[in-house]
Amino acid sequence: MSATTAVRPIAFGPSLGRSALVLGAGVAFVAVAAAAAVLSGTSDIGIGDAVAIVLHRLTGIGPVTWPASAETIVWELRLPRVAAGMAVGAGLACAGTVFQALLRNPMADPYIIGPAAGASLGAVTALLLPVATVGWLGLGLVQLFAFAGGLLTVLVVFSIARGQAGTPVVTLLLSGYAVSSLLSAGVALLIFNSGERLAAVIGWLLGSLGGASWPRIGFAVPLIVISFSLLLVRWRGLNALLLGESQAAHLGVDVEREKRILTGLAALATSAGVAISGTIGFVGLVVPHLVRLAVGPDHRLLLPASLLYGAGLLVLADLGARLAGGIPVGIVTALIGAPFLLWLLRRSVRAGR
Amino acid sequence: MASRPSSRLLPLLVPLVLVAACAAPAAPTPTASGTDAAPSPSVAPSAAAYPVTLTDDAGRELVLESEPRRVVSLAPSNTEIVCALDACDRLVGVTDFDDFPPEVADIDDVVIEASVDVELVVAAEPDLILAAGNELTPTAVLEQLDELGLPVLVLYPETLDEVYADIQLIGAALDRAPEADDLVGDLEDRVADVVAAVGDAERPATLYEVFYSEGTTYTAGEGSFLAALLELAGATPVTGDAQGVIGAEELVTADPELILLGTASYDPSLADPETALETVRARSGWEDLSAVRDGAVVPYLDDIVTTRAGPRIVDGLEALARAIHPDRFESGP
Amino acid sequence: MSEPVVRLEGVAAGYRSGGGERRVLERVDLELGRGEMVALLGANGSGKTTLLGIMAGTIRPTAGTVDLFGRPIGTWSRAEIARSVAVSPQSLELPAGFRVSEIVAMGRTPHRGRWFGWQADDQRAVADALRDADAESLADRPVTELSGGERQRVLVALALAQEPQLLLMDEPTTHLDVAHAAALLASVSRLQHVRGVTVVVVVHDLVLAGTWAPRVVVLDAGRVAADGPPDTALRPDVVYRAYGVAVESVVTGAGRRILVPRIPAAAAPGPAPRSPD
Repeated sequence: MSATTAVRPIAFGPSLGRSALVLGAGVAFVAVAAAAAVLSGTSDIGIGDAVAIVLHRLTGIGPVTWPASAETIVWELRLPRVAAGMAVGAGLACAGTVFQALLRNPMADPYIIGPAAGASLGAVTALLLPVATVGWLGLGLVQLFAFAGGLLTVLVVFSIARGQAGTPVVTLLLSGYAVSSLLSAGVALLIFNSGERLAAVIGWLLGSLGGASWPRIGFAVPLIVISFSLLLVRWRGLNALLLGESQAAHLGVDVEREKRILTGLAALATSAGVAISGTIGFVGLVVPHLVRLAVGPDHRLLLPASLLYGAGLLVLADLGARLAGGIPVGIVTALIGAPFLLWLLRRSVRAGR
Repeated sequence: MASRPSSRLLPLLVPLVLVAACAAPAAPTPTASGTDAAPSPSVAPSAAAYPVTLTDDAGRELVLESEPRRVVSLAPSNTEIVCALDACDRLVGVTDFDDFPPEVADIDDVVIEASVDVELVVAAEPDLILAAGNELTPTAVLEQLDELGLPVLVLYPETLDEVYADIQLIGAALDRAPEADDLVGDLEDRVADVVAAVGDAERPATLYEVFYSEGTTYTAGEGSFLAALLELAGATPVTGDAQGVIGAEELVTADPELILLGTASYDPSLADPETALETVRARSGWEDLSAVRDGAVVPYLDDIVTTRAGPRIVDGLEALARAIHPDRFESGP
Repeated sequence: MSEPVVRLEGVAAGYRSGGGERRVLERVDLELGRGEMVALLGANGSGKTTLLGIMAGTIRPTAGTVDLFGRPIGTWSRAEIARSVAVSPQSLELPAGFRVSEIVAMGRTPHRGRWFGWQADDQRAVADALRDADAESLADRPVTELSGGERQRVLVALALAQEPQLLLMDEPTTHLDVAHAAALLASVSRLQHVRGVTVVVVVHDLVLAGTWAPRVVVLDAGRVAADGPPDTALRPDVVYRAYGVAVESVVTGAGRRILVPRIPAAAAPGPAPRSPD
């Protein structure tokens, strides 16, 4: 073996060029999806008007040639909905990616250690609280309860699973399953007694971006953005965790601390997302897998890519939901997600792994 | 599928559910029309009619600065009231459920399959939105409309008096107070006529079947609007729980003497009395009911008006009375 | 006299199992100086892997003290330790979808560089690691397509990429053929010679241990049964007590002494039963 020589470039993962391509395509995807969603809806607003409205609100330019209703629709109805869709989609996809690595389980999704069940219990409780008059639910009560329920549940699950020697992944999964089941039973009981609120409860559980408005998403969206930003920089630890906890420890990862941080941030993003939109399924499970197929398992690229494609996908799904008669977006994501999942499974079975 | 029981169920359950708190609307602030001798059919509103402060069935207050000319209705009952007050031409948005009067079919739908499309509501540029209470218009939608600053009245009448009050509320909102008063007077007269015609006839234990599926029967809830109508129509209603559910055992104990099949309004197979009787007899536990043994099972085709809390509710009352006491009504109107 | 790289005093380690505590190590005293090369021997279950874990700071002793480079190991953070101590494990399931070079690059984790970029140091460290682990030719291969021996070399490269001062290797030669095993140990010697790395290698092969390592530590049921140059530490009686197998000492033509197990011959078989013609 020569002591050589011509420095052979060693690949450290996706090259800078490839990364730029994937992320660039992701940004373009989100931009196109967002544009399509802002420009389309059930009412007839011309594309030119819609663009002009956005420009006008952002920069104040242009004579106002459109009716006030069009401006309300574009700026107060569609735009917050699109913003919420991007944030929630990104948060769920990111959280799903993190849990799949952390729990070393390809079936993991953001809800696997309980935030969905906890948030559901909180939200349904809030929906059923006897309120004196219709109309002023104490704006945000449902969101607050959902958010608190989600976070508290993860805290409880984590505490239950915590042992002397840290928090073993298997125990975390089992504890999450047990607590979720318990809480879901509570939700089912509440559903049974929901009376005339049944439609509202079911609508929330199926997941919908329908109620999105600027004040309502004002607290949740920044939380989601902060969470996934902080998660993006932890890619080294996530990669190391893929080698197993003991090897990750040898590589200098404070495994228990990393688990706490990752779980906490992912739970924060998930709970904030659920608070806005109810429990939307499949995004957190399927997007990481699809993106991993395209860009590989290196979290340096996987995390930001999942984030972008999750955002774009949810916005498109919501557009579809709106045009299909205002059905809950959770139905659309299930309809799109389940076949994809089946296709992924078939693919891996055929590949013999 | 001829009917969609699931989507019709919710409106049907409306009169059967006890709402914890649904204050009867306070009488709307009197408008100036009280001092006018004759109702004015002119287009221009009388100067003193606006601004007007209205309190709706949910206890919310709404101030209307001027006469609303673009009205959106989120429930068929509200649409009917508006049209009964001769203001149909002001409707710019209705539900796809609305079917009376026939001309409303031409108006754009903003509620599709019981789902309110807020975007379409906003696009219709309404200056008054008539919503429905008790979650028929979901609370989340009401919150959104409030956030957008749109004027909304929430209506949810649970008794005849509350229907009259709602008619007058909308009358005050649309500067149609005289028409409202006339309509209410007319309805009250017709109700009195029914009560008089029924008189002191024996009041049969009557089961009004709202919906039946897999052994579960939905009927008038205890203390519900439908139960009250049945009483007015000269029957002793067999009632279920707050949701209107009655179990098989309670049904047998109650042993109705007369069964009115409201479901026949949507299910053509029940329109024929013979077939209806057979179908009903085949249900487990029903064959021993007095009504079934005596063949007193009547396909009832006027369920829509009997369960829609609008001006035609009195049509429903009349239909009920005729079905329960046919001998008291020789020639129906 | 510079401080020892690692000093263990009175170390015991174990874990709770069932109702009681199971002791894996008892009263271990050990000192490793800079640049030492040590072969660690012992029967299966004698505590070798646990001892490596103690030195790497991933296993906490139930008694005794552990000092790393003169400081108690408890005062080191995980990342600090990983910059100085590397462990190449016995076996490791490598996640699919990565190439060898990418896995080896994970060894740079404790040397946090910028977010996305790789510094020249990282490039060089990975290249050196691949070369020293004799895995250069494997760099672009997907990790799922490696043979057992190839995977072993990758695991060694992974540890080397950390540029440790203390290298702990858990049976790195187990799956390697003679040529690769020899090459690997030669690399390790070179590391020690050139960079002053302290190396502890767990081996099973008595011959390799005897010929390569200047110092041998033998563990027997959690205690140090022998510690010293092979001549004194690798004696047949020690080996017999530790492994339960009888060995004999043989001197090679080059004057080296190695231990060879005495395998009892099978009892002479009786006439094989034959089928009647």
